[in-house]
Amino acid sequence: MRLLIVEDDQKLANFVARALRAESFAVDHAADGCEGQRYLDTYHYDLLILDLMLPRMNGTELLRHARHTHPLLPVLVLTARDATEDKVRHFEAGADDYLTKPFDIAELAVRVRALLRRTPHERADVLAVADLELNRLTQQVRRAGQRIDLTAKEYSVLEYLLSSPGRVFSRAMILEHVWDQSFEGVTNIVDVYVRYLRRKVDEPFPVKLIQTVRGMGYCVREGGSDGDGGRA
Amino acid sequence: MNHRSLAFRLGVWYALLLSAAFALIGAGMFYGLKQYLRANLADSLKRRSAQIEQILLEAPAGTVDGILAERIETRVAPEFNNRFVRVTRAPATLVFRSTAPSDRAFDPGAVPAVPVPWPEGGTARRVVGAPGSTLIESVTPIIAPSGRYLIELGASFVPIEAMQSRLLTVLGLLLPALIACAAAGGYLLVGWALRPVDRIAESADEMIAQGLDARLPVVPSGDAIERLSISVNRMLARLRDSLQTSRRFLADASHELRTPLTVIKGELQEALHTAGGEHAVSEHIGSVLEEVARLEHLVSGLLVLSRLDVGEAQRELVDVDLAELAAGTAEQLRLLAEDRGVLLECSPSSAVIARGDRARLKQVIVNLLDNAIRFTARGGTVTLRAGHDDQQPTLEVRDTGAGIPAAALPHIFDRFYRVDEARSREDGGAGLGLSIVRAICTAHGAEIEVDSVVGRGTCFRVRFPR
Repeated sequence: MRLLIVEDDQKLANFVARALRAESFAVDHAADGCEGQRYLDTYHYDLLILDLMLPRMNGTELLRHARHTHPLLPVLVLTARDATEDKVRHFEAGADDYLTKPFDIAELAVRVRALLRRTPHERADVLAVADLELNRLTQQVRRAGQRIDLTAKEYSVLEYLLSSPGRVFSRAMILEHVWDQSFEGVTNIVDVYVRYLRRKVDEPFPVKLIQTVRGMGYCVREGGSDGDGGRA
Repeated sequence: MNHRSLAFRLGVWYALLLSAAFALIGAGMFYGLKQYLRANLADSLKRRSAQIEQILLEAPAGTVDGILAERIETRVAPEFNNRFVRVTRAPATLVFRSTAPSDRAFDPGAVPAVPVPWPEGGTARRVVGAPGSTLIESVTPIIAPSGRYLIELGASFVPIEAMQSRLLTVLGLLLPALIACAAAGGYLLVGWALRPVDRIAESADEMIAQGLDARLPVVPSGDAIERLSISVNRMLARLRDSLQTSRRFLADASHELRTPLTVIKGELQEALHTAGGEHAVSEHIGSVLEEVARLEHLVSGLLVLSRLDVGEAQRELVDVDLAELAAGTAEQLRLLAEDRGVLLECSPSSAVIARGDRARLKQVIVNLLDNAIRFTARGGTVTLRAGHDDQQPTLEVRDTGAGIPAAALPHIFDRFYRVDEARSREDGGAGLGLSIVRAICTAHGAEIEVDSVVGRGTCFRVRFPR
């Protein structure tokens, strides 16, 4: 899979590229709109990651051009503006998804994978890590065969964490996924829910599955706090 | 009537100045008239006296007194002119004395005689009191062929006094009326003159509500009012420019901070990842990442504020049921409250419809509830209520927390303001939550008010327009 990043901030581009390469994508980088257009017209890409504020040719123009020449190319827009009307404009211009800076690289990886799947991917009915099992059909959670009762929100948090075992989910990601943006930055509500979740899921059992990664967030994985928290 | 208003003060000054001026004019008129009438009277007395003098001088020596009296009588007709006439020949022979005047102002018989020796030389003037009246007399001694005579001609003061008192009455009635009219006129006139200023003030008030893009209508009258309108407009333009500059700066700054923040966060996360099992290193990086998260909140809070400032909030105005929104939001925060040992109550209510942006209104409830829960001690209660106050859709968040000191109340909506430095920082609040609440309320045309009693609790109330 080959991706093109069009982003004028060298450092941001570098680290996004590095992170995506770590996810085993091939990544090219263009530093401005014109260069981006040249790359697009020259090579074949599976996905375009586009910053909207670009020198020489701005991102919106490039987006229109890309839509015209490559109607099927998925485009993920990076933007520092998160006003709803901006988002609507991006979608109208042909973006498939957007991410607001500052974003979590994990989030970017998740979005990229989702976009590349194109067709709605098969949703696993049962998510499991070690002896923890979550059944999406019955909405039941079992650990070591024992039924665990969770509230709706606790269930949502656990489902999100289990959707990608081993990946670290930041508080912002969990908030946006389970709650909504109104709660951003205001409360430590995620921590409270994770604590309650742990009480039910982890405390009665010898092996702890829900891990805290300081400064980053939470993840579910087997094998304690060895700090190997990053990517799958 | 406002006692400190310009119109009132000018009216009073008007009245005072006019009273003083009228008092001076009145006194002058009164005195002048008196002098004039007296001089006039004395003049006519002197003329008559000269006529009598002529009769006496023309009469040859030895003329009988009766003939003299008859001539004088015929010539002067004192009783019809209301004059007192007395002619005495030295040493003390009464030649003629007028009878009582037609207005009976005095009794001629009772006028005291001129004391001997008679004055020498020309006409003298004296004022004598006679029963019933005061007389002014001109006394002329002459030497005629038939002997030495003293001619006395007098007139009563009564007509003069009557005229004076009439003048006094007229002045006394007319002047206060005139002053009152002038004062009232001045008051009205000033009020009328100030009406354009009133209109400017009203328009300025309206414009504050409309935002700084509105301008006063300038009437090309060429006077101070026109200049005032132009100056106010110019001031508004400057104000708008500087406000826009500072807002743009805020928006740009928070905007520009986002890319480096992404890089910092990404690099640190990667470093954390590669640090592997190095516990100390991951602790350090984790700690820095926590600060980055705080910066992120701050930046996004500032962006929200700058966006609300420029009025982007009213994007999707819909009818929102505050009661339902409140109940839902409270439900989402219930665990947070329980975790802190605070009872979160949401009084049920039938639909309370306000027009607004649902997500923003939810933000208001979340921020207020979060704030209330954070500042309420274990065992306290936070009550959320949606309802109608005076038919206005109202949201109310009441807590039994520590309360806010009165000195801090005016500032709690200011950006970065903290009532209790240590406490808030420990909770990780950026000091933007209430600013955002107020900005959202303002964007919705809603008013937010706060009551607080230290030690008893705080109540925030948001009233939406009907």
